[in-house]
This record gives sequence, structure tokens and C-alpha cells, in this order.
Amino acid sequence: MATSIYKKLVSLSNVFYNEGLEKASVRDLTGAMESLHQSLKLDKNNINARNLLGLIYYETGEVVAALSEWVISKNLKPDDNIADEYMDMVRNSPSKLEDINQTIKKFNIALNYCHQDSLDLAVIQLKKVLSLNAGFIKAHLLLALLYLKAGNWDRAKVEAKKVLKLDTGNTLARRYLKEADSMLLPGESGKLVSDIASSENDEVIRYNSGNEMIIQPLKKSALTRTGSIWGIVLGIALGVAASFFLILPQRIETITADNKDKIARISEESDNKSAKIVELEQKMASMDKNMQELQGQVDSYEGVDSTSASMNSLMKAVDCYENDSSDIEGIAAALENVDLEVIKDSVSPEFLALYDTLMSKVGPQLATSYYNTGYDAYKAKKFDEAIANLSKAYQYDNTNVNTLYYLANSYSENGDLEKAKEKYDAVVTEFPNTKTAAAAETKLAEINNSGN
Amino acid sequence: MLNFEEELKKFKPSLEIEDAEDIIYNRDLDDMSDVIVGLLKDAKSEADNNKRSR
Repeated sequence: MATSIYKKLVSLSNVFYNEGLEKASVRDLTGAMESLHQSLKLDKNNINARNLLGLIYYETGEVVAALSEWVISKNLKPDDNIADEYMDMVRNSPSKLEDINQTIKKFNIALNYCHQDSLDLAVIQLKKVLSLNAGFIKAHLLLALLYLKAGNWDRAKVEAKKVLKLDTGNTLARRYLKEADSMLLPGESGKLVSDIASSENDEVIRYNSGNEMIIQPLKKSALTRTGSIWGIVLGIALGVAASFFLILPQRIETITADNKDKIARISEESDNKSAKIVELEQKMASMDKNMQELQGQVDSYEGVDSTSASMNSLMKAVDCYENDSSDIEGIAAALENVDLEVIKDSVSPEFLALYDTLMSKVGPQLATSYYNTGYDAYKAKKFDEAIANLSKAYQYDNTNVNTLYYLANSYSENGDLEKAKEKYDAVVTEFPNTKTAAAAETKLAEINNSGN
Repeated sequence: MLNFEEELKKFKPSLEIEDAEDIIYNRDLDDMSDVIVGLLKDAKSEADNNKRSR
């Protein structure tokens, strides 16, 4: 009887083992563990069940529990036991074993933090644990619980889902997931915030704050849609007003200052140019004066031959005298433009000697001829002609006081009082103690009195 | 609404490698057959006691 009971227990243990194996194959690790525990309660020598239980412990991050199952398994069945391979796998990578041990210690520290109400520190520790061993289900669950406690429903839901991905039958994870769902987005149960965020929904504003996505309902007023155009118009109007009241005066001031500078510069340039103009005008006046003086000199030379021309004229006059010594008119015509007073400094002594010789021969006749013509012109009140002829007459014969006196009278009558005074003075000086000199003095006195 | 304190009680510290030896030695490995054997032993000893008292 005892044997049959034992066989029944072994058989029942195998049934639970099979059930556990089936659950493990669909990653229902919690269910598999329960079945395998049942199996081992019925038959502690069910090596397969114990080894599988060790594997499941290992998968959930409970490495020490896994190792203890495998050690017991090895003790119960020393030979031909797959637990050897599992333990060798762990033993052959000591660094990994150390990492696992550190993971477990950190989890225990995090749990202590939870009991001490240091939940933030616990969260940090658990994140470290999961970065080392992402398959540590208890750590995921504790982190999910802490997120629920902190009101981070979204994150709690993520953690619970991770657990259910590792262990589909984890009832604690399902509870946390349900709790998060009930708190998160009522009416949209089963949807992650990220799912909502990624969906096309224009009624919310989304933005990231650190690692968190903030979804804020869009506030819409009655004016929001229709008022947008008015808002733009108002904005433009305000912009124009701002530019008018703020920017424009500044701009105008700048332009005015620039213009003032320009005006000052132009004014300065204008002053300089005015000064230059005045200077140039002065120069021009000076040059005009010089020009007039030169013109006067030129005028004085007008009708007078140059030195070479005078020589030719003299030669012509001499030739005329040689041909006909009585041809006074021809000699006078030849000497018409020879003015010895002008050219005497530039001609040779020979020229002067020849001229004097010719004058000694025909001078008086020439003088008489010119005097007669000039006197007739004087009488006829043709003073210009009189001046020209009397001047020539005095040039050829300077001993005739009448020639000089009528020349002076002609100048006086013609309005050239300076010349008249000069000639009257010459009469007084060169022919003193004559009646003509006395008359000249009277004329001089008259001119001087009229001048005062 | 979850009760955080109650939920926290469900989490036990994980077993560390340094404690593995103690855990293995102190492990209660009794299964159903051991229980039945114990029961049978108890039943047998009780029967023996009854016979002696008669």
C-alpha cells in the first residue's frame, strides 16, 4: 500500500512538473514556480522539477535561490545531473557572479530605503540594479510600486509591462498595471501617455520636461480661431505703432544729426571756397591791373616800330633823302613810326649817329611840315590830329617854343590835363623868360586852380 | 487604491551569495512521502502504546 501511495505521489509530482514546464514555456514564470513547488512538495527527488525551478529562479534574478536548488539537486542525484552544467555556467564567469551579487545587494539596499521612507534614493538604487540586470523582476515590481506611490502612473505602467513581458503570469505586475491604468487617463484605459502623445490629436500641447513628456490640454477661447487673424492685425498695428513712437524718432534724430554734420561740412567747404574765390578775385584784379599796365605799355608802343623795323625805316628815309633831298613827305612817311624816345636804349650808336645826321639835314623841314599841319588841325579844333603832328614837329625840332605851347594847348583842350601840365611845365623850364613861358605859367595856374 | 505599506511587505530581501550555505543547510526538504512516513510512524507508535495499556 505504501508503495502504491509513493508511486501516486511521484506520478502527481510529475503532473505538476509537466504543468510547470508548460507554463515556463509560455513565460508564465510565477505559475511555473507554483506548479514546481507543488511538484517538489509531493516528491523532493523530482530532479527535473528542482532543476527547472532553479532555472526559473535564475531567470527572475534570484540567483542564490537558483544555486541552492541546483546544489540540493546535485546532492540528491550526484551523477548525470544537468544542474552541474548550470552551476558550472555560473562558476566559470566570476565577474558575472559578482555583478549578480552586487545587484542583489543593491536591491536589498533599495528595499531598506523604502522601509526608511527614502523613496527617491530607492528609485535611484533600483534604476542602477536594473541597468546591471534588466531581468530582475522583483526590482521592476518594486520600482513600479514606488512610481505608483509617487503618482508616476505612466512610468509605473511601463515597469509593470516590462515585468509581464518577462513573466506573463505575474499577478503583482497585473495589479500594478491595473492600478496605473485606473489612475491614468480615465476613459482611455490601456493607452500609454506616449501612445496618446504620438497620436494625431491637436487638442493637446505636448512638450518634454527632462525625461517626462508633458501633455497639456489646449485652452481655446471663443476668440482663438476667429481672433487669430485679428491678433495678427493687432500685432502688426502694435509693431507699426512701436516703430512710429520708438524707432522712428530715434531714426529721425539720427538722420537730422547726420544732415547737420553734412551741412556743417558743406558750410565749411563753402567758406573755404569763398575764401579761395576772394583770393582768386584779388589775384585776378592784380593780374588785370598788370595787364592794363602792360596794355598801356603796348599802347605806348603802338604805331612805333621795333628796333629792327626802325632801322629799316631809317634806311628807307636815308634812301629817300639820297634820291630826292626835297622829298620831305617821303622822308616823313618813312620815319612816321620811328620814335627815338622809345628805342634809343636798344639801338646801336651807329643808328643814333645816322639818325642825328639825317635830322640835321631834314629835321627842320620835317618839323616845319608837321608844325604847319598840326597848327592847322589845332585851329580847326582837331586836337587829336594836332597832338600827333605837333608831337612829331617837336621831336624833329625841339627849339620851337610854339610847337610845345600849342601841343600843351591841344592836350588841355583835348581834356588830358596831366599831359597839358607836363608840356606847359616844359615850356616854362626850357624857354624861360619868354612871353610864351608866361602864358604857359598862366595856363598852369588855371589848371591847378580848376583842379582844386 | 493600493496601500503602499501593505504592498511593501510583500517584498522580501533577496538571498545573497554569502547566505547560500546557511539557506541550503536549513532548507526543509520534507515532501509528502516524509509526511506520510511520519504519520505512519506516529500511528504505529500510538497503536503500540494502546496494546501495552490493555
